[in-house]
Amino acid sequence: MAAVARGNLASMSEIYERRHRALYRFFYRLTGRPATSEDLVHEVFLRMIRYRHTYQAGDGFEAWMYRIARNAFADQAKKHRLELQPEEGHFEVIEGGGVSAFDRMAKEQDLVLLRRAMRELPEDKRELIVLSRFQGLTYEQIGRIVGCETGTVKVRVFRAMKEMGKIFSELQKERAS
Amino acid sequence: MTCGHAKELIAASWTGEIDAASEAKLKQHLAGCDECGAEMSQLTAMWDRLADLPAPEPSHALSVRWQSTLESLTSTRKQTQWRFSLATLWPQRPVWQVSIAVGCLALGLVGGSFLHRALPGAGSGQDQSEIAALREEVSSTKQMVALSLLQQQSATERLRGVDYSVRMPAMEPDVVSALIKSVNSDSNVNVRLAAIDALAKVSGDPGVRTSLTNSLAHQQSPLVQAALIDYVVDARDAKAVAALKEFSEKPDLNPLVRQRADMAVRQLTQYK
Repeated sequence: MAAVARGNLASMSEIYERRHRALYRFFYRLTGRPATSEDLVHEVFLRMIRYRHTYQAGDGFEAWMYRIARNAFADQAKKHRLELQPEEGHFEVIEGGGVSAFDRMAKEQDLVLLRRAMRELPEDKRELIVLSRFQGLTYEQIGRIVGCETGTVKVRVFRAMKEMGKIFSELQKERAS
Repeated sequence: MTCGHAKELIAASWTGEIDAASEAKLKQHLAGCDECGAEMSQLTAMWDRLADLPAPEPSHALSVRWQSTLESLTSTRKQTQWRFSLATLWPQRPVWQVSIAVGCLALGLVGGSFLHRALPGAGSGQDQSEIAALREEVSSTKQMVALSLLQQQSATERLRGVDYSVRMPAMEPDVVSALIKSVNSDSNVNVRLAAIDALAKVSGDPGVRTSLTNSLAHQQSPLVQAALIDYVVDARDAKAVAALKEFSEKPDLNPLVRQRADMAVRQLTQYK
């Protein structure tokens, strides 16, 4: 990124190759929409070029990139609030291998409830789970991204998981009845 | 250890950000605190289950789109650098700047006057018809470009196609059909919205109004539904009232869209 900051835009190709999948998954797990996620990834890389002078090597590239990503998402959400509510059925589930059809069905049903529980979480809590569970970021990095202390991030992730657990249990009861 | 501190350590244990000493303290706390123990086992199981949600992959189109954007940005930058090098040749002293400007003006006047006399039929009716033919050719080329862009895989290119069609002085039937097709079947909501806006130019055409009224029943996006309702209201299409009433009765309709559809029915009834 330092090369890009000095004006070498061609170096963005390498950064794109390394990061675009992670960014896509980040947006996909927040929105559940493939097309919106791709638009957001494109926007983030454009913003990286536009705001390259704000990059500081000491602060860490990941934190800088995800701060841009969060701003892009917030701007998009403001413009298209109706369109960004995560949709049911967009999150896919993995095929179970080497298990009976019954077990696989039970597992898939649980996964459906799990992604529904995630979808029903408030946006800020869903974001914390995505950053910590799926994006491979440390709590310290997440703290730099969302602007709070590492200890606070840990507590907030715990609370987000607890709330998701509560929603998940309610959904399980709903299914059983 | 307090339960609050234990929660921090439980979260740290999920990502492996816990040292041996803290882990031992946590185990000791969990052994004596049933509430924290139950939370640890339930939430850790859920944390592990999240790994079963798949890692989605972006489409190849995203990389193609980014590559094309980057190339255009790089070439713009090169052009800017080239312009900068030309700028360095421009004299700094105002005397020279004025001299060059006067010289260019004189050269233009002399050259223009010479060409006017030398070319046969200059300024005649033949010129006018040639200019008209050229305009027509440019217009048809623009139409081709618009149609071609509307069929591109990239949503950005299709949006450019819609933009092109708006800028055409008269919208040809082929372009109108392509825009209606975009409203009905484009996968991108932004393209569908832009196509509806573009078709405002031909809202006087009853065929277009009917197509867009019919499209309402097939749209899933609340934004597109709202844009189509606004379109028929702006076009004062009283014939759309029946379709709007039927649409408003759909059970799964967004409440805001239903409200807008009902309001549109009231407005259009006045024009009957």
